[in-house]
Order: sequence, then C-alpha cells, then structure tokens
Amino acid sequence: MSDQLEKAEYNRREFLAASAAAGLGLSVAEALGQESKNKDEINIAIIGAGTQGRVLMNSILKIPGVRIKAVGDIWEYSQRYTSRYVKKFGHENNVYADYKELLAKEKDLDAVVTAAPDWMHAPISIAALEAGLHVYCEKMMSNNAEAARSMVKARDKSGKLLQIGHQRRSNPRYLHVKHKLLGEAKLLGPQINYANAQWNRGIKTDNTWPSKYEMAQEELEKWGYDSMHTFRNWRWFKKYGGGPISDLGAHQIDVLNWFYGSTPKAVMGSGGIDFYEKVEHNDTNMLIYEYDLPNSKTGRAFYQVLTTTSSLGFLERFMGTEGTLAFSEAPRWNEVYREVSTEEEWTKWAEKGYIAKEGAKDTGDEEKVVDIRQSPAPEKWLIPVENDKPIHMYHLENFFAAIRDGVPLNCPAEIGFQTCATVLKGTEAINTGKRIEFTEDDFKI
Amino acid sequence: MTVFKIALVAACATAYSGVAQAEDLVDLKIDLPKPRFEGTPVPVKLPHLKKPLGHPRPLIKVPAGTHNIALKAKVTSSDMEPVIGEIELINDGDKEATDGSYVELGPFVQWIQFDFGAPKSISAIAVWHYHMQARVYHDVIVQIADDAAFKKNLKTVYNNDHDDSAELNLGAGKDLAYVEVNEGELIELKGIKTQFLRMYSNGNTANEMNHYTEVEIHGK
Repeated sequence: MSDQLEKAEYNRREFLAASAAAGLGLSVAEALGQESKNKDEINIAIIGAGTQGRVLMNSILKIPGVRIKAVGDIWEYSQRYTSRYVKKFGHENNVYADYKELLAKEKDLDAVVTAAPDWMHAPISIAALEAGLHVYCEKMMSNNAEAARSMVKARDKSGKLLQIGHQRRSNPRYLHVKHKLLGEAKLLGPQINYANAQWNRGIKTDNTWPSKYEMAQEELEKWGYDSMHTFRNWRWFKKYGGGPISDLGAHQIDVLNWFYGSTPKAVMGSGGIDFYEKVEHNDTNMLIYEYDLPNSKTGRAFYQVLTTTSSLGFLERFMGTEGTLAFSEAPRWNEVYREVSTEEEWTKWAEKGYIAKEGAKDTGDEEKVVDIRQSPAPEKWLIPVENDKPIHMYHLENFFAAIRDGVPLNCPAEIGFQTCATVLKGTEAINTGKRIEFTEDDFKI
Repeated sequence: MTVFKIALVAACATAYSGVAQAEDLVDLKIDLPKPRFEGTPVPVKLPHLKKPLGHPRPLIKVPAGTHNIALKAKVTSSDMEPVIGEIELINDGDKEATDGSYVELGPFVQWIQFDFGAPKSISAIAVWHYHMQARVYHDVIVQIADDAAFKKNLKTVYNNDHDDSAELNLGAGKDLAYVEVNEGELIELKGIKTQFLRMYSNGNTANEMNHYTEVEIHGK
C-alpha cells in the first residue's frame, strides 16, 4: 500500500471512529462492516438511489448509528454508483432493482429512505410502511393528490413514521426565523401581511446517460418508462413528476404555509411552456396564494419558479407593517429590515442574539440623492444563524431522532400532504387560467 | 461543445520561465464544455476562496507547439476501485458535465498520477473536477518528481491546502481555492520539466468524494 493509500485508509477509519465515538456505540471494526446490530443502531435501505439519493446518503453517512444495508434502484448505473459510494464508508449493502424484492428479502431493516421519481413515492412508501418500516420520503410527496393522501392513510394504519423531505422545516435558520423572530420578537409586527418567494434557475440542458448503461427498451417498459430520455428527464413529464413548481417550488410553498400557519384559501396564476421543447410541465410558473389572517384580513403571497434565468437565485421574503425578512437556504439572503415608522427599537433583540447589526459600512458609493417619492430606507439587520451541516442533514437527523427517541417529526405526512395539495392546485390554477378556491376536502385525509 | 475561439497570435519573447532562448509564444486555446448546474447548491464558505472573475478567463501565452500531452499519458490513481467511472475518463478528451463523463474516487485524500513516458515541458494544467454543481475541491495540490513512486526530487508546484488538512506536511499552501465552473481551473506551470505529475484532492464542499471529469496538461 502506498503512503497515500495508507493515508486515505487512515482518514476513512478516523472518520468512522469519530462516528463511533459520537455515540453509536460501534467499534470501528463493526462500523467497517461486521454484521452485528447494536440496539441503538438503525438499519435502512435507500430506494431510488440516483443523484438525490446520494445527496441524502452523504448526510446519512455523517449521522451516528445509521447503517445502510440495501440499495434499490431500477438503473444499473445508480445501483453501482450508490452501492459503491456507501461501501467506501464501510456500509456493506445488498443491491436490488425491484423495491418489492428488497422489502421481502431484507429482514433487518428499521426504515426506508426513498428518493425515487415522484410517481413512485406512494407505492414505495406504502409498501415499506406495510412492511413495518419507518419512511423518509423525498418531496414532493407525489405528483397526484390522491396518491399523497393514500400515503397518509397508510402511515396512520401502520403506526410508523412518515417524514416528507421538506428539509427547511429542520433548518436552524428557518426555525430561528419562525420561532424567535416571528414568534417571540414579532419583528414584522402583529402578523405577516405579504410574502414573495422565488426560485430562479438558469437554462438547464437535458440529462444524458452513459451509453454503456443504457437500459433495454423492454426493461424500461417494465418499469413504466418509454425511453431512456424520459427516464432520465422524468421531472418534465406529467406521469412521473410535478415539474419545476414541484421540484423547486414545493420547498418554498411549504414555507409559505408554515409561516402563515395555515393552508391558503385561494390561488391564481399564470405560466406556461415558454422556452423548452418537448416537455409537458410549465417552465414558467407565477402564482398568488391568499391566506386568512387572524384579524380576518387577507395575507397574500406571490411565488414564482422561472427556469431560464438565475436572476437573484432563490429566497423567501415575508413582510409586515414593522419589518421585512429576506432569507434563504443559501447564505446569500439572511436579512431583516426594520421599518423606520416602527416605535420599538430592535437593540434588545440584538442583545439577546436574535439579530445582529451589520458592520458599519460607508464606502462613499451610496446614493447621495434623496428621492422624495420613496419611503425612508428601512434599517438593515442580519439573521445570525449559520448552518454548518449539509442542508438535508438536519431533517434526516430529526427523522432518526424520532425513530430512536420519539421526538416529533418536523414534517410528518399530513403536513407534506397539505403542501402537495397546495402546489398541485397552483398548477391547476395556471393551466386553467382560473382563480381556485380551496375547500376543506382539498386538505382532508 | 463551446469552442473558445481565439486567434493564434505569435509573439517573440524571452520572458517565459524555464525557456533558455527566445521562443515563439502563442495564446493557449482551451475548448470549454457547456455550463451546467443541477441540484440544490451547497453553501460554500472558505477563508481562501478565489473571487469569481465575472468575465472569461484571460488567455495565457505558451510556447508554440504546446498541446495536451495528458491525452497520451498513462494515468494511475490512489483509488484502484473508483465509486463510478473509470480512470480513463480523466484524459479521454470529454469534459462535459454529464453522467458517464467523470470518475469518482473514494473519500478523503486521493491522487491521480500522470506518466508522460519521458520528461516534458509543461506550461499549464486545465482541470475540471466536477462542474455539474458549483462546489470547491479541498486541498488541490500538484507535485512533480523524477520517479513514479514520488520519492526522488519531489517538488510541489501548486498547493491550495491552506491549513495542511491533507496532512502532506507541505505547510500552508499559498494558492487559492476555486469554485468549479465550466471554465475549469487553469494552473500555470511556466515550462517546468517532468515525466511524472501527481494531483491531489481531499473531498469537496458537497461531499467527501474526489472527482475528475477531465485533466488537460499543456506541454511539449
């Protein structure tokens, strides 16, 4: 073994030893592949082991006490990739193409994590719940509201946990904003009056595939796909996914519901397929949701997903009479503005560490001309919460803590279902060109 | 593939490091792959991160006749069983950010090594680790040596391991970390001579793995 191979191997063992020391009660030897199961250990399978599956695995590998025992995916490329990926960290695993076979043969599992295409979330999750396993299911819950509803029912019947992957609900920055800045300090005033949020993403070319891993036509059809192109670009097709408003927008529409503390009462929208060719979902989505406020007034939220421009990226903004919050999963947006008309000083919240004053800045480049048509500029403060873990890790930690210690899930199935219904009605509003009033039945399990 | 078209402008210069006599210099032409980003970006916060230029990278001058000698080099790696892909993908000429175009080596410190068959004069390296997502690779280090075991006359010619976290005991690297984009990173070596060249990395800001989509080594 060369010096560097020895060093790489040393680092790998050091990483695993650190995990063991962090509380999983495993020896390094066990962590490197022995089969004995500690009582605190959680054995999982990943079903749907593509790019997003590996993103989740990357976080899970850092969580003490979780063993990845099986990998399920219909595509040999993803099977090989993810299986070998987790093996590099000492997680010996069995590989399956058919999730039903995986669930039938793997008898030592506690939970399933699925990042399969959206249309398979319901059948995989329901089968896993019926097999007596807890489930972490990537968002969006489903591209079909009825399928999402059936997942909640299966969860209730099984008595197991079903966490939906709206990971912002476990993000320390979002929790700080929700509970400290909005809940305790009420920095925006008595309520949120307006919100706007966006996910703007630049032009994206189609996903391709290595020729040596092209699936045979009959194999594709066996799994419900008509071509490799459709399989690799499933997010654009109605049978398999919900389109960009689901892939990107569901995260932030979930935050709208969460921060308004309710589901919306109406939605209207505009959008269409304005740029891409041979896709079925809208590449341009603009929605306005309306929420009932505690004072019987209406809160309004504008939301957009654009897929041909990265302008200003992705962020959420909430506005009240006394301030504005602008923040994001990305550190680029992390601010709160105090309206000059607000009587209360915010210094006390800074002293409590809830907000921070931006460093004194006078570059001499600021606008020197006062435009009397504008309101006075609000006072800018920062949200002093920096996250030091991968963004999905907090939500996965919550899931495993719920299994192990019974802590509440941050996004249980019924919440994921409400978000799913909210998003799908938004698409319906765009496609019909009509304002849609939500009914109780839309959110009823 | 987007071709970064430039005119080959010959110049007569003597300033090129390591070139003993006047030599015709030309602009280095590098073909760029298509830009591509997908997935949720991972926040990057590093103390030694290079600021994006905000415009195309300026051309550099190299001796006339310089070409990509990596294409015919023998490539080996510290990871004999990559997670996905093959070592051959490192110098196959395909630098597009697509599945099947890159090799993924295992976690933590890993290296790849080029054997050119005979000493060559190297002007620059262009490296694309993985530009499907904006991320930063840790501890990018380039070394040359007189033997394949990297024992004889070992020299470090590029090092952005600012905190010696690769534990190669090289001290704090002075080069800056950079974000992966379709331009790749251009490492100027100004005519150093070697038969053997090794490149290290130590995972990246998205995960612990080490990727190579393509490495071009421009020399003669």
